[in-house]
Amino acid sequence: MLKIAVYGKGGIGKSTTVSNVAVAMAQKGLKVMQIGCDPKADSTMLLRGEKDIPTVLGLVRELKNDFSLEQMAAVGEGGVICVEAGGPTPGMGCAGRGIIAALEKLEEKGAYEKFSPDVVLYDVLGDVVCGGFSMPMRSGYADAVFIVTSGENMALHAAENIAAAIENFRGRGYARLGGVILNRRNVKNEHEKVAEMCKKANTKIVGDLPRSDTVTEAEELCRTVVAAFPESEMAKCYRALADDLLAECGF
Amino acid sequence: MAYAEQIAKSLSTYAADSSGVCSALFELGGMVVMHDASGCNSTYSTHDEPRWYDFDSYIFISGLTENEAIMGDDEKLISDVTDAAKQLSPSFIAVTGTPIPMMTGTDFAAVAKEIESRTGLPTFGFDTNGMNTYVSGVEMAYASLAERFTKYMRPREKTKEPSVNILGATPLDFSGEDCYTQIHSMRKMLGENGITVQSVWAMGDTLQNIMNSSSAWANLVVSYGGLKAAKIMQREYGIPYVVGRPIKGLNEAIVAALHKSFKDDENRIAYEKNTHADKKILLIGEGVTSESLACVLGADAVIPTEFDSELLRNGTLARGEESLRNIAQNYDVLIADPLYQPIVQSCTKFIPLPHEGFSGRMFSAQAPDLVTEIPFKI
Repeated sequence: MLKIAVYGKGGIGKSTTVSNVAVAMAQKGLKVMQIGCDPKADSTMLLRGEKDIPTVLGLVRELKNDFSLEQMAAVGEGGVICVEAGGPTPGMGCAGRGIIAALEKLEEKGAYEKFSPDVVLYDVLGDVVCGGFSMPMRSGYADAVFIVTSGENMALHAAENIAAAIENFRGRGYARLGGVILNRRNVKNEHEKVAEMCKKANTKIVGDLPRSDTVTEAEELCRTVVAAFPESEMAKCYRALADDLLAECGF
Repeated sequence: MAYAEQIAKSLSTYAADSSGVCSALFELGGMVVMHDASGCNSTYSTHDEPRWYDFDSYIFISGLTENEAIMGDDEKLISDVTDAAKQLSPSFIAVTGTPIPMMTGTDFAAVAKEIESRTGLPTFGFDTNGMNTYVSGVEMAYASLAERFTKYMRPREKTKEPSVNILGATPLDFSGEDCYTQIHSMRKMLGENGITVQSVWAMGDTLQNIMNSSSAWANLVVSYGGLKAAKIMQREYGIPYVVGRPIKGLNEAIVAALHKSFKDDENRIAYEKNTHADKKILLIGEGVTSESLACVLGADAVIPTEFDSELLRNGTLARGEESLRNIAQNYDVLIADPLYQPIVQSCTKFIPLPHEGFSGRMFSAQAPDLVTEIPFKI
């Protein structure tokens, strides 16, 4: 079982990228589970259309421990198993601690054994802002972390912070930094800027996604590009990225 | 666990998981650090540890501050523990969690890994959080010993004569005026039946003997805290285990189960369902103790501490004051720690059976040596 965590600045396109990669991997015959680690619970929206699914912490809040593993997951586009960690009541509690509780609950309910996915994708909210958001990269969780960034300064700054956190955790047996996924916003000298950031962080660009209206069109349909426009150039890019991530992880 | 199940209005609560870790490891020459501001240490030393004033042990509190918690300053903990370990040269290090680090999500396994790489000493990180009972802490501690320390002896070389490890002994379950009395009695009882004791996890014994545990013919699990370690040793060495607490009236069954397991390497539960009693009797307490005593007395048992439903014979799992009160009212006799008396109705006879894991040292001097006597009549 390969476990990958994807981090990056909020709004940079993590969920869109991860969902497309998930479907691309599923189309290769792999069993994929995508776990959204964001209180907003919007990671798997493109995989499940308009359908809402209960979040792990929502179930815990409502039913304590009296619920099944199946209630925590839904099968989405391409057979991808969708899970949303969810979070505390907005403005209250501790979202980071919520991620820990949700991931522990998934494990406690036997998600990894019962679903036996070939690939688990953790789509993690923004930056590694606290201990809770480092949970997906802790020992026993992700094998590799990939950072999504554009060439915009704030996105690069977040990427640097995430890379620094991973370096800081090196003695802890956490996930390694697998590389950076460039999600282009068409800023000037974009590739060079991201390559420079990668050089500083001793990592590399493993994927280069062009800016494309096809992504917006697919989002309007509440679907992934790979599923909605499988013959498009963008779908080919996502499929290539899926292959590259798997290759980078030796899968 | 549902929140209502944790409500106690007039009852005490069980010692916490962090105390269970400390108690299990107290005598083994290790250094145990509770990661907390302060409070867990005084609860442990004042209420949960009868050996505190008679036995030197490296039990520490990290002195976690508000700023360190907010800032996630694990480095302070790691460097403090490393410095202390370099001065004290303990045989191992254990770092245990408490409610504050639980809330900030401290990764104790990772902290332990960093300490181990700096000190070169075997280091355990325990995800205790003060929300579970001492039983889960004892279980974590002994399971870690089994995973880490019994592997020094490969391949397994059995002793010439039949022998056992006693797994799950801590003063939290085996107390008395002298907390070692029941340990001596268990050793004596087994010895009189041709069974030597390779090690006792972990009272009145050494880490060296524990490291040689794989030479025993079987494991005797005397509290639920010892079961996971028994399962690990079964997986690693094929050592069978017998579950049951030596109690007068059950000792013969335990010895018979051990001798059978010596021959066929099968696991056994020494206590059976026993309904032959004139009165309806209920026990409340730790799982293995309650099931074992219930078997002898023909009683039912309610187990509020961590336990596997597959080990139940005479009991049920329940916790929370209201649940226990509702169950207890259906019985003629309740046998439990003295601090359970508030839930007893006037028509029910109450027989106190001190349990250090529930009432601390308050009544421990009155705890009987159950191996040799059952000091009450029903």
